[in-house]
Amino acid sequence: MVVRILALWVLIFTSNVFANQGELLIERVNAKFSYTWLALDKTIKANGYKAAYLQRCDFALNERHYKSDKYRILFFGQYDEMQAMSKKYPKLSPFFPLKITAMEEGVHTLIIATPPITLLPLVETDEDRMQIFRWNEDMKNILKQVKNQYK
Amino acid sequence: MKSKKLLIIFLLPWLSFAGGQEIYFENCEKCHGFSQQGSLGLPLYRSTIANHSDNYLKKTIKYGRPGRIMPGFNLSNAQMTKLIRFLRAGVKAPQYSQAVIAGDAQAGKHTYEQYCQRCHGSQLEGGEGTGKNFSWQKDREVSPPALANQGFLHAAEDQMIKHIIMNGIKDTEMMSFKKEFNFTDQMANDLVAYIRSHQKSAQFDNKPEATKEPLVFVYQSQHNLGTTVDKLRDSAAAYNFRVYPSRTLFEGFGKQSIEDEKQVVVRFCNFKNMQKFLKLDPRLGVMLPCRATVIENDQGEVHIYLENYMHAVLRFNNEQIAIEAKDLIDSMKEMVEEAIW
Repeated sequence: MVVRILALWVLIFTSNVFANQGELLIERVNAKFSYTWLALDKTIKANGYKAAYLQRCDFALNERHYKSDKYRILFFGQYDEMQAMSKKYPKLSPFFPLKITAMEEGVHTLIIATPPITLLPLVETDEDRMQIFRWNEDMKNILKQVKNQYK
Repeated sequence: MKSKKLLIIFLLPWLSFAGGQEIYFENCEKCHGFSQQGSLGLPLYRSTIANHSDNYLKKTIKYGRPGRIMPGFNLSNAQMTKLIRFLRAGVKAPQYSQAVIAGDAQAGKHTYEQYCQRCHGSQLEGGEGTGKNFSWQKDREVSPPALANQGFLHAAEDQMIKHIIMNGIKDTEMMSFKKEFNFTDQMANDLVAYIRSHQKSAQFDNKPEATKEPLVFVYQSQHNLGTTVDKLRDSAAAYNFRVYPSRTLFEGFGKQSIEDEKQVVVRFCNFKNMQKFLKLDPRLGVMLPCRATVIENDQGEVHIYLENYMHAVLRFNNEQIAIEAKDLIDSMKEMVEEAIW
């Protein structure tokens, strides 16, 4: 127990989890949408998560003067972790699975996510807070890793 | 000796930008683009920056623009200096006097309505949507700045505003009003006084107002799981949402337990709204699609969980989308209330 609390405090003070915590996580990838999408899928797997499904948001975008209809959301997570958390805190369920939005911007792609740390008020124990901190760090790492593949 | 001097001259620009470029890539590039060409944020052309004082840039970076996407950044003085040096790329910083310009705000209002309102809006609210977007067509290539924004008014000196009115900004739609419309000093002074009259306080607070509303709305249904899902789907359709096939919460993960069958996600979307929102802020995807999660607990009670988008919207720092989102969440709440009866 002591170790867990200590680990939580170390995580809080050694990472910048609280810096700009209210802001969206965004990275600009120096690659076309199709390459970024593949990299995102691979990176999510490499970080121990499973991509569950995608949601396309391209309905008639091209017909409405949009330059691109490449706009997708990738839902992912770890089944066991999320199942346990949603059982314990059903209020977390609207935020599951975790998701990353990818949109084409000219020759680049923007990847955007809500920081999981925003879910902290919904959990009660240090252990569960640790879990959310970990999701937050993983989300940031996934976005950075995708970006770094096309530097 | 001569070659050493040449080497120093050659390396000087690189030495002076060192550090600033990294700070730009770490903090600014995601919105302003790899080469400052603009994107979610405004373009940071050298010719634009050339009109801005160091003081203006520092305050803009530190405090951002409340409600206009640009957040504030906690950079040290040294980091700030390096970043500004990088943005200037060798162009000298303009020096503006801190003297307040005295003018007739009423006369300035008249001038504003005649010449400026078309781009900057009748309430000085600026253009619609984000800075510059390469993904979809907009009425204007670059969204005109919101002159009544408290962040802008806190950062900009009167003399800088006057300079830009009179001389315009190269490579942008902001023309020289002295050249094009023969603006006199007095007209510019009056205009500055009118713009300045929108400043609420000399003190600036850039902390966004936290919403006291819950993160999630929870409703208890009078019906069983299947009926609740059906009623929710019908209700969503009645509220002009297109309803997608429902799925269990963890569908697609390859594992499935009996528990999972009792967690159903009803997904729906109003395309007209979605496109309107996307135009205002392309980052909307983090909220999509609209959904309600229906869960039957161990006691057989059925609850509906609805994310309160007002919290998500706060993270956009975009007041235009905040107003629209309030209407959306209100209609979603009505939709659920109708379904559970």
